[in-house]
Order: sequence, then C-alpha cells, then structure tokens
Amino acid sequence: MRAALLRYAPLLLVALAWEAAPRLGLVRPDALPPLSAVAHAWVGLLASGDLVRQGLSSLENLVAGLGLGIVVGVALGILMAWYRPVEMLVNPLVRILYPLPRSALIPVMILWLGLGAASKIASVFLGCLLPVVLSAYNGARGVDQVLVWSALAAGASRRRVLWEVVLPAAMPEILAGVRNALALSFILLVAAEFLIGQRGLGYLISFLGEGGVYDAMFAGVVTVSAVGFFADRLYLMLMGWMLRWRE
Amino acid sequence: MTDSGISFRAVSHTYRPPRGQPVLALDRVSLDVREREFLALLGPSGCGKSTLLYLLGGFLPVESGSISVAGRPVAGPGPDRGIVFQNFALYPWKTVRQNILYGLEKQRRPRAEREQRARELIDLVHLDGFEDSFPAQLSGGMKQRVAIARTLAIDPAILLMDEPFGALDAQTRALMHEELLAIIRRAPKTVVFVTHDVREAVYLADRVAVMSARPGRIKEIVETRFPHDRPEEIVRSRDFAEKVDHLWQLVRNEAIIAQGTRAP
Amino acid sequence: MAGMKALRHGLLRWVSILALLAAWEIVARAHVVSAFLLPAFSTVMARLAGDVISGELLPGIGLTLYRALAGFSLAAAAGVAVGILIARSPLARWFLDPLVSIGLPMPKIAFLPVFILWFGVFDTAKILMAAFSAVFPVIVASWAAAEGVERAMLWSALSLGAGRRQLLWEIALPAALPQIFTGLQVALPIALIVEIVSEMAMGGEGIGGTIIMQMRFADSPGVFSGIVAIAVVGSILVKAMELIRRRLLVWHPEAAR
Repeated sequence: MRAALLRYAPLLLVALAWEAAPRLGLVRPDALPPLSAVAHAWVGLLASGDLVRQGLSSLENLVAGLGLGIVVGVALGILMAWYRPVEMLVNPLVRILYPLPRSALIPVMILWLGLGAASKIASVFLGCLLPVVLSAYNGARGVDQVLVWSALAAGASRRRVLWEVVLPAAMPEILAGVRNALALSFILLVAAEFLIGQRGLGYLISFLGEGGVYDAMFAGVVTVSAVGFFADRLYLMLMGWMLRWRE
Repeated sequence: MTDSGISFRAVSHTYRPPRGQPVLALDRVSLDVREREFLALLGPSGCGKSTLLYLLGGFLPVESGSISVAGRPVAGPGPDRGIVFQNFALYPWKTVRQNILYGLEKQRRPRAEREQRARELIDLVHLDGFEDSFPAQLSGGMKQRVAIARTLAIDPAILLMDEPFGALDAQTRALMHEELLAIIRRAPKTVVFVTHDVREAVYLADRVAVMSARPGRIKEIVETRFPHDRPEEIVRSRDFAEKVDHLWQLVRNEAIIAQGTRAP
Repeated sequence: MAGMKALRHGLLRWVSILALLAAWEIVARAHVVSAFLLPAFSTVMARLAGDVISGELLPGIGLTLYRALAGFSLAAAAGVAVGILIARSPLARWFLDPLVSIGLPMPKIAFLPVFILWFGVFDTAKILMAAFSAVFPVIVASWAAAEGVERAMLWSALSLGAGRRQLLWEIALPAALPQIFTGLQVALPIALIVEIVSEMAMGGEGIGGTIIMQMRFADSPGVFSGIVAIAVVGSILVKAMELIRRRLLVWHPEAAR
C-alpha cells in the first residue's frame, strides 16, 4: 500500500502544480484552468447527464468496433494459418493495408457510410482488425506441431483440433495483439469522433473547445485519458487471469 | 608485501539488492599479492571472488577495510589495473583494431604510436587479418583475445581477470592458457585471476588463494609454482596432481556449503 | 536452390497483389457498386498522376511530411534524452515512471483540442501534437536500452581511462543504439498518422486537409488517390528507416544474416 502511494506520488505533485500554476499566474488561467475548476466542470458535466450520454455513445461504438475486430480478426488469422487458400486470398490484402495508417481510412468510411455511428464503428473495426489478424496468425503458426499431430492421431477432426488445440495455444499471442488493438481502438474512436461529430466524448471535447468552455473541455480530455488508461490496466489483469495456467 | 604489490586489509563488502535483505559478500578478507605474481582466487560460485576483484579494480566502493596498490589506496578505476571479463565486453560497433585502440585514444598517445602499438598487439594475440572484423564475426576464443589485447594496450601494471575463459569450450580454453602464459612471460605483470576451475588455477598461478562459501573469507593459500616450463611436463608431474587434489578437497567442502545456502 | 525459393516466394507475393488490384479494377468497372463508392483502380491512379503533375499534390504532401518529421525529430531528441535520464537518475525515475506508464496507453489524440487552444491552428500545434504522441515509445525504448547496457562494457571503458562524459557518448549511446533505433522506428509512423489526423480535424493545407475537403465535395477518386499517396509516403518512410538502420548498425549480429 505504502509502496503504491510512493510510486504514484509524482502524480500528486503534478496535480498540485496544475492547481497552483494558473492560480499564481505562472500560466494563463484561460489556457490552463486550475485543477479545481476542471474538477468542478467535470461534476457539472456528470450532473447534466452530458458525460454519461456521450460516454455511453462512445462506449457503444468502441465495443462494437473492437468486438467485431477481435472476432473477425481472430477467425481470419487462425483460418489463414490453417488453410492455405485462405492465406493466399487474404495475404495481399493484409500486405497492402499494413503500411497504411488506418486513421487515413476514416474519410473513406464517411464517404461510404455517412456521418453517423456506422462510420465510427467501421473505422474502429478496420483499425483493430489488422493487429488482431497478425497476432492470431502468428500465434496459430507458432503452435507446437506435436500437440497438433497427437490430437489428429487421436482421431479428432481438423475442425476440432483448430478449436480445442490451436486456439488455446495461440492465446498468449492473440491476447497481446488484442491489447494493441484496444489502444488503437481508443485512438481511432476519438479521431473518428473529432471528424464525424454528432455524439461521443471526442465530439464533446471538440464541441466544448470550439465553444470556449475550456475547463469542461479539460475535464473531457482527462476523462478520455483516464478511461483509456484504466481500460488498459483492466485488460492486463484480465490477460493475467486468462493466462494464469502458463508459467 | 613489496611497495608495488597489492594489499587487502580486512575488506568486507555487503551486497544490497534493490529488493530484499542485504547480504554479506566478503568478510574481512586480508591478502597480499606480490609484484609480478600470478595469484588465482579460487572458490565456489557466490563466494565473492569476483566482488573482491571488482573492489580492487575500483568499480565498487571499498566501504569496509582497505585495498592499496603500490602503497596507495584504491580510489576508482584506473589504467594501472586492466580488466578482462568472462563475456568479453567488447564494443560491438568497433572493429577489432578500434577496440584495441580505445585505451590508447583515451591516453591521447600520438597517432603513429597508437597504430604501431595496435599492430603489435594484434600480432601478439595472433589476430592478423582480422583487424577490420567486427566482434559479431569472431569466435569466442578470438573475442577473448581481442579483449586481452585491448586491456594490454595501455600496459597496465596489474591485470585483473574475471573467469576470462569460462565462456570458451575446453579446447579453446587450453590453448588460451598457453597463450596467456606466453604473453605474461613476454611482459611480466601482476595478475589476479578469478576462477572456479581448480586445474586452471593450479596450472596458471604462482599461488592460489582458496575462498570459503559466502560470506567469502580466505581459507588457505597454496603455492603452485612449478619448476617446469613446458605445459605437458607440468601437467604430468606428481606435484601438479597432488596440488590439484589438495585444492579440490578444500574447494569441495565450500562448494557443498554454497549449494546449500544458495539464495532463492 | 534456396535463392530460387525466395525468388518464387517474392514473385508469388507480387502476383497476388497484382491479382487483387486486377480484381479491384474488374469489380469497379462492372459497377457492382457505384463508381462513387468504389472508383476503379485506374481512375484513382490517373487522378493521382494528374494531381502530381498539376502540382497540387506534392506541396501538400511536402507540408505534411515536414510537420511530421519536425514532430518526430522533437520526439526523438526529447525521448532519448529523457529515457537515458530515467535510466541514470533515481530521482528522475521516481518522478517520471508513473507519468510515462500513464501516458503510454492514453489515447493522446484526445489532447488535440488542448494543443489547438495553446498553440493556435497553425503549424506549431500540429508539430507538437505529433511530437507528444511519438515521444512515449522513444522514452520507453531509450530507457530500456540504457538500462540494458552491459555493466562490464562500461567498467572496461572506465579502466581504459574513459571519463564520465566519454562513457555516455562513446560507450553507452552506441551500445544502446539498436534498441533506441527500434523505438524510433515505432515512433515515426505514429508521428505521421497523428499529423495526418490533426490535419483532417483542423483542415488547411497538407494532405489530411486536402482529403477532408475532397470528402466534403464527395470527390471520391480524390479521396482514394489521397489515401494511396499517404500509403506510398508511409511505406517510403518505413523503408528509409530500415535502410538507415542497416547502415548504422552494420556491425550488429542481425546484419550478419
């Protein structure tokens, strides 16, 4: 407990500096509102329901895009590793898309799906897909052949081996790729919300910024950052729990 | 205890890991190394022999007791004490020649002199033709020869060697023993040689100091000078076998203790 | 014989990519979907060529590249310095460790409005935003690299007469370079993409702003050609980094392959 306190003490120092600097005039208070003002604005956003409304919208789109990306990505990656025709078909697509930063595809999504939830979800989906596909592919390829052969020899069908041997063995790699995808999904969602607007925390932040309500804007930025951070931490815990049978 | 020798007086050292309890690594070690003597520090793993070497080299601060070289206390690393490590510690981005030149550059010797000296050393360790190779392209034995050449370049009076041949295969190690003795014969130095290999210690050294298991103390010092010059003769002599046996008995007990108290 | 296999492999890769592009062309021309949704590959390429020749595209790309590289350079210099500082100074480590470990998983793009507030809508905000996003992987890599430098290497240099300053510049930095460079290789694409997203959000010149404008005018071939341009630029940057790495680290065992 004490160790954790000592470890995160610098954050307290930063918080103190954030409060003191604008108040003392070291920075302009309109450029950096004091921490207490930001906290106050945050409570205001919460009370007015704005935070929850936009937060839920962001969450919905994030989960939809990420979930889709994980399911399709894992399926695609493992199938690519397992069945040669699938690999030959999908590989060139992966190769072309890999060097392309997926945020650049947001305008295409807007062209195709308009300004709404669909284009946001599609943007997140596309961004998460590739890291998951690659990690699932590598994970499946790296599975110990002996495990596979002994399962096949015991009479299991190829499909069952896939499901019961390959998938669990590739888990560590897949989980690492999903962690990557999680971080990317946040980035893509916020970027998409900046560009598409209408709803969501990203939209809220830019809206508040354009309206000059800076303390609330900072509150929004802190919220998004905090959510991103805790999501990663929670995921690490989940990952640790899922891999607990490993050394 | 000549003026130019090395003197350890009641040297103790505590190892303080970032997490966990401090551990006493050396317990009041006192030892004298005569000038131009080849002394081996022999002991089981973890007995602190490397620590003693590092203290002598000035890489660790002497907190308790004193170490003096030629009458003066050790106050940090210096060109009078060259060191050779088990994993070579070569600079991988430098060629063989550049590695050897490093100490000479630090001493700001004139260019012609540096190049000449580097050539001599490359010759001495039989690495002609490999001056412009990078360490990644060399075998283990060759790398160690570069490390030795690099250390000898600035002609230190004392040579510290920390299990230098431990990472080499048995044949290479045997060849390196002979090369080392030949080098020392050409340019005599005081050598402090850390090892856990009894035969190596007896073969190479004039005296062998046996250390106890942690916390390290000097258990016994044995003379291992042989009148013969040729290696085959030394190894076949009865004297050699007896000394090896005697030392092995000493070390064996300590090794057993060390196994038992090995830290988790 | 191994050479033949590698050649066949590479050939197969190109063939499959060409097959994909051919499929794109065929599907587009067959109007399976409207030309708006999927302009033909040939149309997109023609548009790209046209924009390059007319001088419309290159200045925009140049501007984007300039800002991205400026941000990257800042991130590189600051990141390496901070990373090494953390490795060497327990005080710096205590203070910066929580900040870095919190900063790493944060979606830093969320800070764009903050940077706009602080630095206006011109170059500075975009460059600093790119730098802010790219600096974290550099810090982490430099920190790990500096900590991982072999103690024996440093000690041998000390006994050969190196001073503290020389130890850092002549021994520690070169030894840490491979890992630091890997961090830089991760940071460069990040700087590029953050730059592009900033341009998209803020408009103006630069390839990001251009694409958004074309999107608003429903100029589908324009948008697609802009994306192809970005992909090409991104690939060139990544390839350039690989080549630089191979030259800088010619001594590294990995290069011996």
